[in-house]
Amino acid sequence: MVNLEEIKKEAKKILEEGKVKYIIGYAKSSNALMAAPTFVKKPEDIDKLIWDPTCFQNLVKFLIDEKRKKAREKEPDTRPIGIFVKGCDSRAINVLLQEKFITREDVYIMGLSCEDVGVLDKKKIFKKLKGEKPEKIEFDQRKNIVISTKEKTIKIPLKEILAERCLECTSSFPVISDVFWGDRNNRSPKEPFKCLEQIESLSQEEKWDFWQQQLSKCIRCYACRSVCPMCYCDECVVDSINLAITADTTAEEKAQKIKWIEKSPESSENFGYHLVRAMHLAGRCIDCSECERVCPVDIPIRFLNKKLEKVTKELFDYKAGLDPEQPSLVSSFKDEDPEDFIR
Amino acid sequence: MKKRTGVFVCHCGINIAGTVDVKNVAEELMKHSNVAHSEDYVYMCSDPGQKLIENSIKEHSLDSVVIACCSPNLHETTFRNCAKAAGINEFQCEIANIREQCSWVHKDKLKATEKAKKITHSTVERVVKNKSLEPISIPVTRRGLVIGGGIAGIQAALDMANSGYEVVLVEKSPSIGGHMIQLSETFPTLDCSQCILTPKMVEVSKHPKIKLLTYSEVQEITGYVGNFKAKILKKPTYVDPTKCTLCDECIDVCPIVVPNEFDLGLTGRKAIYIPFPQAIPATFTLDIANCPGLLPIACGKCMDVCEPEAINYDMKPEIIEEEIGSIVLATGYDLYDKENMKEYGYGKYADVLDGLQFERLLSASGPTMGEVLRPSDHKVPKEVVFIQCVGSRDPELHCAYCSKICCMYTAKHAMLYKHHVPDGQAYIFYIDIRSGGKDYEEFVQRAKEEDGLVYLRGKVSKIFEENGKITVWGADTLAGKDIEINADMVVLATAMRPAKGAEEFAKKLKISLDKDGFLSEAHPKLKPVESVTSGLFFAGAAQAPKDIPEAVAQASGAASKAIIILSQDQLFHSPMVAKVSLNLCTGCGMCVDVCPYDSLSLKDNKAEVNEVLCEGCGTCSATCLRAAIEVKNITPVQIYEMIDASVGG
Repeated sequence: MVNLEEIKKEAKKILEEGKVKYIIGYAKSSNALMAAPTFVKKPEDIDKLIWDPTCFQNLVKFLIDEKRKKAREKEPDTRPIGIFVKGCDSRAINVLLQEKFITREDVYIMGLSCEDVGVLDKKKIFKKLKGEKPEKIEFDQRKNIVISTKEKTIKIPLKEILAERCLECTSSFPVISDVFWGDRNNRSPKEPFKCLEQIESLSQEEKWDFWQQQLSKCIRCYACRSVCPMCYCDECVVDSINLAITADTTAEEKAQKIKWIEKSPESSENFGYHLVRAMHLAGRCIDCSECERVCPVDIPIRFLNKKLEKVTKELFDYKAGLDPEQPSLVSSFKDEDPEDFIR
Repeated sequence: MKKRTGVFVCHCGINIAGTVDVKNVAEELMKHSNVAHSEDYVYMCSDPGQKLIENSIKEHSLDSVVIACCSPNLHETTFRNCAKAAGINEFQCEIANIREQCSWVHKDKLKATEKAKKITHSTVERVVKNKSLEPISIPVTRRGLVIGGGIAGIQAALDMANSGYEVVLVEKSPSIGGHMIQLSETFPTLDCSQCILTPKMVEVSKHPKIKLLTYSEVQEITGYVGNFKAKILKKPTYVDPTKCTLCDECIDVCPIVVPNEFDLGLTGRKAIYIPFPQAIPATFTLDIANCPGLLPIACGKCMDVCEPEAINYDMKPEIIEEEIGSIVLATGYDLYDKENMKEYGYGKYADVLDGLQFERLLSASGPTMGEVLRPSDHKVPKEVVFIQCVGSRDPELHCAYCSKICCMYTAKHAMLYKHHVPDGQAYIFYIDIRSGGKDYEEFVQRAKEEDGLVYLRGKVSKIFEENGKITVWGADTLAGKDIEINADMVVLATAMRPAKGAEEFAKKLKISLDKDGFLSEAHPKLKPVESVTSGLFFAGAAQAPKDIPEAVAQASGAASKAIIILSQDQLFHSPMVAKVSLNLCTGCGMCVDVCPYDSLSLKDNKAEVNEVLCEGCGTCSATCLRAAIEVKNITPVQIYEMIDASVGG
């Protein structure tokens, strides 16, 4: 069992010792169903910290901001950042380490096991509440959630309102950490790719229609990209916004920029954006599902990533972020890799 | 900036013009805003064709050209030189392949013409954005490396050394000589193998330009053409060759007997041994794997008796580093593993031998001093069955290819057997007789007619031992009947395989292998001794099964290719290499992992290209998630424009 008091004790200790620059964790927010990411810099603030199934954000994204900030500073504080990670989040750290975006010394990983639970899916709860606003929530025995609204109090089994990814999760505890709380029990869901069943059963035409309909909704707000810990490029290849142009960028380099897709949210351009993004996440996506969570128009983005996760698992027996030393999927090959697609 | 591009469309006789309306292609391309001139001609690669290009460049002040013709593999160099001669940068010349990729694969003239236009158009789009580049010059280490000391390696090393270049010859066993030194007599002239090979071996040992490293293995090769670095492991022999007097005292006292590799297990040898009397270098080797032990010294008898004190148990493995300009790989062959040939009783019955074992039996220096005797009871075999294609030409179970030399050596074996045992009978089971080669067919005919060999066309189904005889069941497909022979001895012409460990070695050197594990040459016809890695050449049976004359010829070919590199003052490397956009690079290192030429590395968290190693393959560019690396003159923008021209209007 993860004991919040122990976490706080450790947090206090490392802040007092000056071992970390600050700690990225979770705190209560104005929304009862959702924790807020919080940055704890002083030992006296540790009581803000919480740990429960409302802590669904992947905080790893903040490490990217930290790296950018540090790069701008003349004399940066090089102490590591303390960060709360769940099982899935820890694998994001591994991918960043694997891609040498951060170094192991940059982070002090505070690993938290989801154990047999997981995190909430807000959308599922809203459905259950039928429009009523939750005022207060409590967790009963880690089996049920008790939600109080103005009108009533209802008890829902956690299983019914957990995020899809938690139901399909195979490793609910961090695979890399400096300190760790909770159990290291491997889960073995019978169908880790169950969410794909329905969409895979569709014919090619039906799939096309499905995605046509879904992706035409996209308004290209890029929330999915902004929240993704793997989308750390200074400049996205599908959308040159000239962020990466620096003082020493030559006119020639500027002229060589290709506009692969138009900025306008047309359906064809949206396809371009989402498919390129999906391909760029193959073997890198760790299924934190943040992209789908933040999508304001409810595009089931996770299907794309999950499908690629399944394909890479089946073809190459590869799972992203298990080990920072493992070679990345697209830059490595084994003699026994399938090649029957070469004709 | 607008360019003045010239387009030259070749007819290639009717090779292109038969399927593509070349005039129409030239006219259509003239409409392109960057094309200042276009024309067609019957053979652009001919001297008048080249003159035409040169003159047009000058006359129309062209700054770039596209030649629509055959594959760039063939005439790219011709036309680039032509462009250079006319005074423009050679990298402003590009080839549009409208032959292999168009006229040869289509029949419909209208559609083929449209396609040829698109191919040419897309190449124009490319050349419009081409930069003028200068070849990268690199220095040359004037020193060769030959790996493998069989006949091919010996020949290559001698040719290179006799041309005046220093050569390092590395052989993994204690002596050079390879398989050829094990042979008795050689077809079709029947001259003694040792007698013709040993002079070459002696020449190697005495040659001032050859540094011979036996009992050594190449562990690593880094660098690039003209500038390789080889790491060679020299295993300890525990005998100082400068002190050893070859007195044989150590052999007498050594208590360990193991099968002798030189006689393929037909005799034994001691743990301290000399492979054969004419071994080069002429010295003993203490085979540590079979010695009772040196740490602590378990026996020590050899050292005790060695008067010149040549034996030194403290010898350590040595890593020798050599700087090399070009490399010849001659790692040779092994016979197909007998484990795979259980159906013929090989390895189970003492009197079922393979071809090399029979060579030793025939050899004057062999275990029986040239007398043909059965290994089991030392009796003279009166009936001997020779079986060809054992493991060869059997795609279902064994090797699909023909091992090439077996027809000839089996004829030789049977003939020599008859010379030794005139009243004996030799039967040969064969599928076909393949005797292509100078004097080869005559040799086989002589064997049949003069020596009375019985050739039976068919396969052997079973071999088993019965009453001290080896019963061979087979079929004579010409007579259409089953055959049973109660033989005294069976000799199998087993398939040739790449030498053991060659696959692993090739992987280390990143040399591609063909489906059978032989070294894969750069072009089956026009680059038969070159590997795809420049500066690395092949000789001998490591590339494909070959006989001695072929191995020698290929070795000389490989040596001359290696010398071409060593004789240059400097080498030139294509400037079409990868280039990193530092502001986009995040230093993830994926390009470093995928580069097949090890030309990329990370420096200060950014990718860095070693231009000399880069072959411009573009794998890095395709892998980079951030489009931060591209190949000069085939950049993503150029590819984009080319795709646009190919699929668009």
